[in-house]
Amino acid sequence: MTNVVLEGFDLVKRFGSTVALDGVGLAVGRGEAVAIMGPSGSGKSTLLHCLAGITRPDTGEVRLLGQRVDAMGERQRSALRRTRFGFVFQFGQLLPELPAEENVALPLMLGGVSRGEAVRRARGWFGPLGLGGMEGRRPGELSGGQAQRVAIARALVTRPAVVFADEPTGALDQTTGHDTMRLLVEATRGNDASLVVVTHDPQVARWCDRTVEVRDGRVLPGTGRGMAAGPYSGHDVQGHSGHDVQGRPGHDGPGSLTRILPGGNG
Amino acid sequence: MSGPLGLSWRLLRGGGRRGLLGAGLTAVAVAVSTALLIFSVSANVAFQGRAEREAWRNPVAVGTAAVAVQAVHKDYVRDRTVTVVDLAVLKPGAAPPPGLDRLPAPGEVWFSPALAELARELPAGELAGRFPEKVAGTVGDEALVHPGELVAVRGQAPDSPIMTAAVAGDPRDGFPPTRVADFTGAPSPDAQAYQALALIATVLMAVPLLVFGGAAARLTVARRDQRLAALRLVGATPGQVVTMTVAEAMITAAAGAVAGTVLYGLLTPLLAGIEIGGGAWFAADLWPGVPYTLAVLGAVPLLVGLSAVVGLRRVVVSPLGVARRETPPAMRFVRIVALLAVLAVVPTLGAGSAAGVVAVVLGLAFLAINLAGPWVVGVIGRITAGTARGPARLLAGRRLVDDPKAAWRTVSGVAMTGFVAGFIGFLSPASDLLGDADPATLRVTVPAAQASRFTAEARERLTAAGVPARVEVTGKGEDKLLTVEVGRTAGDGGTESGGGSATGKPAAEKAATGKPTGEETVAEKSAGPGTGRADEAVIDRARTALDGLVPGRTATSAADEERFGVLLLKDVGTGTVVVLTVSFLVAVVSAGITAASSILDRRQTYALLRLAGTPLEVLNRARRAETLVPLAVMGGGSIVIGMFCAVPFSISSVNVGGMTILLICVTLGFAGVIGAGAASAPLLRSVTADPAPRPD
Repeated sequence: MTNVVLEGFDLVKRFGSTVALDGVGLAVGRGEAVAIMGPSGSGKSTLLHCLAGITRPDTGEVRLLGQRVDAMGERQRSALRRTRFGFVFQFGQLLPELPAEENVALPLMLGGVSRGEAVRRARGWFGPLGLGGMEGRRPGELSGGQAQRVAIARALVTRPAVVFADEPTGALDQTTGHDTMRLLVEATRGNDASLVVVTHDPQVARWCDRTVEVRDGRVLPGTGRGMAAGPYSGHDVQGHSGHDVQGRPGHDGPGSLTRILPGGNG
Repeated sequence: MSGPLGLSWRLLRGGGRRGLLGAGLTAVAVAVSTALLIFSVSANVAFQGRAEREAWRNPVAVGTAAVAVQAVHKDYVRDRTVTVVDLAVLKPGAAPPPGLDRLPAPGEVWFSPALAELARELPAGELAGRFPEKVAGTVGDEALVHPGELVAVRGQAPDSPIMTAAVAGDPRDGFPPTRVADFTGAPSPDAQAYQALALIATVLMAVPLLVFGGAAARLTVARRDQRLAALRLVGATPGQVVTMTVAEAMITAAAGAVAGTVLYGLLTPLLAGIEIGGGAWFAADLWPGVPYTLAVLGAVPLLVGLSAVVGLRRVVVSPLGVARRETPPAMRFVRIVALLAVLAVVPTLGAGSAAGVVAVVLGLAFLAINLAGPWVVGVIGRITAGTARGPARLLAGRRLVDDPKAAWRTVSGVAMTGFVAGFIGFLSPASDLLGDADPATLRVTVPAAQASRFTAEARERLTAAGVPARVEVTGKGEDKLLTVEVGRTAGDGGTESGGGSATGKPAAEKAATGKPTGEETVAEKSAGPGTGRADEAVIDRARTALDGLVPGRTATSAADEERFGVLLLKDVGTGTVVVLTVSFLVAVVSAGITAASSILDRRQTYALLRLAGTPLEVLNRARRAETLVPLAVMGGGSIVIGMFCAVPFSISSVNVGGMTILLICVTLGFAGVIGAGAASAPLLRSVTADPAPRPD
């Protein structure tokens, strides 16, 4: 599987007597968008944390492009998260005292890019994400959806291999949530990054190529380790979620996604 | 407990480990503030107590209805002062003076405990010989300025020479026989000066304390903001929100205040050891009394509650204001204007200004610095953020702009200390002004007519005591000066131009010491300035021998006369160290608590930043920069302002000692604040270590 970017094998993670992960395997392809679904307490966030090198699994392996992530020390994993991964959380990840453009530029500056260059590159993301004119606003002056788009720009500005999103639309209303997911998927794909989304919302999962269901620390049969043949041929969400999505967005779905690329750094 | 009170109590208890940690930090801050506040109040009470206990020795003359005649003079032994009070009872049955169980009869003496001990320790010829009277009792603590004070109270007959001698002089050296109606007296000017200095010291200590206490309260409110905004959003009335916040803040503060009182009680023995005015303190001096303690115990939680209300105003006015962080309104320039206005008043002050006025202006300067501080911090923040190249300085600068008040709270303590250090450092007179006067030449004023008689008697007494000395009489007019150079033999120059010739018997002296005529030996020379202990003993023998030679007068050396000045300088130094120590404790504790609170307040953002790969080192560097940059600017600025405020009172140019104190202050301040900030690094690590302990 040369196309695999990120892989987890037999991941086990316990918190005290609670088994959060009980032998989970998962592979994510280049440019692929994978939704990890499951009810509260199923272990889906723990899976994301293990895959992203935030926590180390008790046993099992995580590989990014063949490199063992779980064997790295905290410092190395921290550097890896900073350079190779991007993160979008439910809310609260933007520094309230920094203007939007500096929030986006921050990961570049942490990587040693000069301030002027970092801000210039950061600004390039605002237009394509529909944030034109918001560069100087502070997070408190942005709407929830705008703030999430700034977070998406921040996650992508370092050109990561994988973007991890933990309930990225959890704090948004349905319409805004749809827009945000569309932008997230389009933007990651447009930049050849893979996307791993943790959600309990089937409508969010719909935007992804494939859905992995986690229950009681295990992946439901048929949804896990095996990788879909191509980015657009994953399991249909409705196929195993059993939900009939109502209020489906009024566009043609993932197939018609446009490529979102930052401007100004060509 | 019911309603909002009950709910806030439950919220406080159910706040979880970090909530309790936050409340704990506030309680610690309040405890330290309370302990130091009680101390600064007690200092005034203590000096007042000293003044009252000393008052009876400053007799107030009455024309009629006198019950006694009272004379006071200072005597010296080694490098200490002995206060000798002579009493002649005119009307038996009057109330005895404080510290005595009855009125003394002629021929009786009461010693203070320290004097009694010293009289036992030293050979009789050096001290005890001055008091041949019968020791009738011990002077009680209620009549002593401090436990180590040397006091003797003697009974005299109304017609004894000492009670009739007309001696005029500086009240600092004693009082001539004075007819008194009772033994109440009046506080001495020196005691009142000490009280004034204590009042200024209190202002210097209390203002930072109040600022610190208020800051601590607002810190906890910041943490409650979110929860209370949520309560407000679900429909709690402003009144309920305020009640709950104030209740929670005050519960915490009350616990802290009680802990602080206990802490102060535990520290009392240590504080009582601080020597001021020549001695340490009675433990009871430092007990401010029930009313003051209750006042502090009540005022501290009230102030904290008030501060909490102010901090909460935003939440109550607009529930969304806190939930959604918006750009805060810029600090108004009027803050700087206030500072400039206060500073404009300073040059009108002078050494002659009333202590109360000085205290008020100093307090105002303090408050004005505190008002201007956030504005300056905001400006510093804009400059830092504008010029930042790396992420840490950018974060620090933006943070300063975002919440200059929070940043100011971290550095305000040290900035205030800088003000104090600048003020005192500029004021302290050079320490080498005094201290090398001649201790070996004793002088006493004698009436011209009896100069010869006194000279002869002095020689006899000294010879009998075996003290080598040259006795001379100098001066013109009514009073002449009898000079006794202890340790020197009279080789030549025995006669004076003034007429009252020294007609003594040098041969007798030489015989007594076994030294050849006209020969200045090494031993004799060593009796000069800076002599050792053996020579102190000789001087004390000479003092004892000369005691009572001239009724009502004591033979004193130049060193004795400047003893008060030396003591005053030493006290200014001690006071400086005490005030600066208190300021530093406040500054460092405040910096530490602010740093910890700021981490707790921002733990989510910090955790998510770390999760996204931001190295902790960058966050710690940003935290450091966000303290150090304003610290450098504000600390330096405050020192300059402090010095400026001291200019009107400055009697000499800046001296090395004061500058050293300043330098130590600056160094300690920076080290302390950096240390306090660094101490919270593990907290940052722990709150960000486990971003999702939930198994989900």
